[in-house]
Amino acid sequence: MKVTVCIGSSCHLKGSRNIVEGLQNLIAENNLKDKVELGGTFCMNNCQNGVCVTVDDKNFSVSPDTVEEFFNTEILAKV
Amino acid sequence: MNNLCADIGWKSLNHYGEQLCGDHIEIIEMEDDNTVLVLADGLGSGVKASILSTLTSKIIATMTSQGISLEECVKTIAATLPICKVREVAYSTFTIIRLIHNEEAEIICYDNPDVIMFRDGKIYEIPFKTMNIEGKIIHKSSVKLRENDTFIAMSDGCIHAGVGMSLNFGWERKDIAEFMETISDVGFTAKTLSTVLTDQCLKLYGGNPGDDTTALAVRIRARQQINLMIGPPSDRNDCDKMVSLFLSKGGKRIVCGGTTSTIVSQYLKKPIIPNINYYDPEIPPTATIEGVDLVTEGVITINRVNEYAKDYLSNNESYKQWNYKQDGAALISRMLFEEATDINFYVGRAVNPAHQNPNLPINFNIKMQLVNELSESLKKMGKKIKVNYF
Repeated sequence: MKVTVCIGSSCHLKGSRNIVEGLQNLIAENNLKDKVELGGTFCMNNCQNGVCVTVDDKNFSVSPDTVEEFFNTEILAKV
Repeated sequence: MNNLCADIGWKSLNHYGEQLCGDHIEIIEMEDDNTVLVLADGLGSGVKASILSTLTSKIIATMTSQGISLEECVKTIAATLPICKVREVAYSTFTIIRLIHNEEAEIICYDNPDVIMFRDGKIYEIPFKTMNIEGKIIHKSSVKLRENDTFIAMSDGCIHAGVGMSLNFGWERKDIAEFMETISDVGFTAKTLSTVLTDQCLKLYGGNPGDDTTALAVRIRARQQINLMIGPPSDRNDCDKMVSLFLSKGGKRIVCGGTTSTIVSQYLKKPIIPNINYYDPEIPPTATIEGVDLVTEGVITINRVNEYAKDYLSNNESYKQWNYKQDGAALISRMLFEEATDINFYVGRAVNPAHQNPNLPINFNIKMQLVNELSESLKKMGKKIKVNYF
C-alpha cells in the first residue's frame, strides 16, 4: 500500500507535518513498515481540500485531528 | 580581469554602555576591482571616539582611492583631527587594506593589531616594512593574491578581550590567529568569520566589552554563479522558454515551489522525488530532481531565507541556524550567502489560485515582495543580482 501526503505550501500550512509524523508513528506502532510505503509529494492541485492524502491513487482530505481515524479506517482496516 | 572577487564583512561590538562605536569601517569600491578598506579606532569610546574614527577612515579611504600617497594622508589626518582636551592628542589608529585588481593587496597598519592572513587554510605571516611618517610608526606590506586568501583586520578591542578576567594578558594576536585558522577555509563568509571572532571576544569580555571591538574579514574568492527559479510563468505557454533559459546558465540550480518543480520535472522528463524529513518543523521538506541541485517548497521557504538574509545584514545572529541545518531554507541560504557571488533569479508571475485563500498567510503579492526584498539584501551582501520575470 502506498500512502502519499501533500507537502506543498498550502497543505503544509494546514498541517502536513503533523499528518506525516502521526502516520509515521501509527505505522511504526502497528508494525506496518513492510506493508505501507509512506511518501510525500508536492502540490496535487487540490489545495482547497487539503491536507491532500492519497492511498493507492484514491484521494482523501485529512486534518491533524482526523489522522488516527483516517489511519484506522483507510490504512489499518485495508492492509 | 581575473575571475576573483572580494567577499568583505565585518562586525563591531560597542564599549559596554555606549550607544556609538568608536571603531569605524569605510569601504570604497572603484572600477577595475580596486577596493580600499579602512578600519579606524578612535581614542577612547563613545561620541568622541566615533567622530575621530569616522573622520580618519573617511579621509584615508577618500584620499587613497584618489591615488594620493600615504604620507599625504597621514599629514592630512594629523592636521585635521580635533585634539582631545583631556589627553591633548588627536589620535585614531587605522588599518588600510587596498586591493588592486583583486591581484595584489597592500596593507598599511598604524597601531592596530597587524592584519592576520590565511592562505590554504594556514596562517601566513606577511612580512612588513616599518616606516616613520610624521613621527608615526607604520607597518606596510604587500602581497600577491591567490584564491582563498583571507585577511582579518582588528581593532585592539579584540586582543584586549578578557584582560584581567578570563585571560591574564587578553586574547593575544597569535591565539586569535590559531583560533581563526581552523575555520579560515571551511567556506564561511567574511561576515560569518568576523561574527565568530567578535562573538568569542564578547564571551571573553563576559558580555560587557571593555573596549570597542571590531573585526573586518576579506576573502579572495572565485566568482560563482547560482540560478534560482521560483513560480510558474504568467503565460503557461512560456514554461519551456523559462525552464530552458534557467537550465542554460552555468552554475548550480535551485528550484522553489511545487508547481515550478513540476514544470522543471516535465521539461527534464525526470521525476520529482520528495523526501518527508522535517529538519525544521516550519519548513516543508525538500525534494530532488535529477539535473537540479536543490528542490524546495516555494513561498514559506523563501520567506525564511529572506528573514535570514535580513538578519545577516544586521546582527547576524541566525548564522548559527542556517549554517548547519538541513532544511530547505538553510540549504538555500548557504548556497546564496556562502557559495554564490552572482545570482540569476527566474521569477514566474503566475497567480496560484490555491494561495489566494484569505485564510492563508501567503499570496501573490507577498511572493513578489519576498523576491524583491531578498534580491535587495543579496545586493547589500555584495552579490551581483539579475532578476528575470516571466
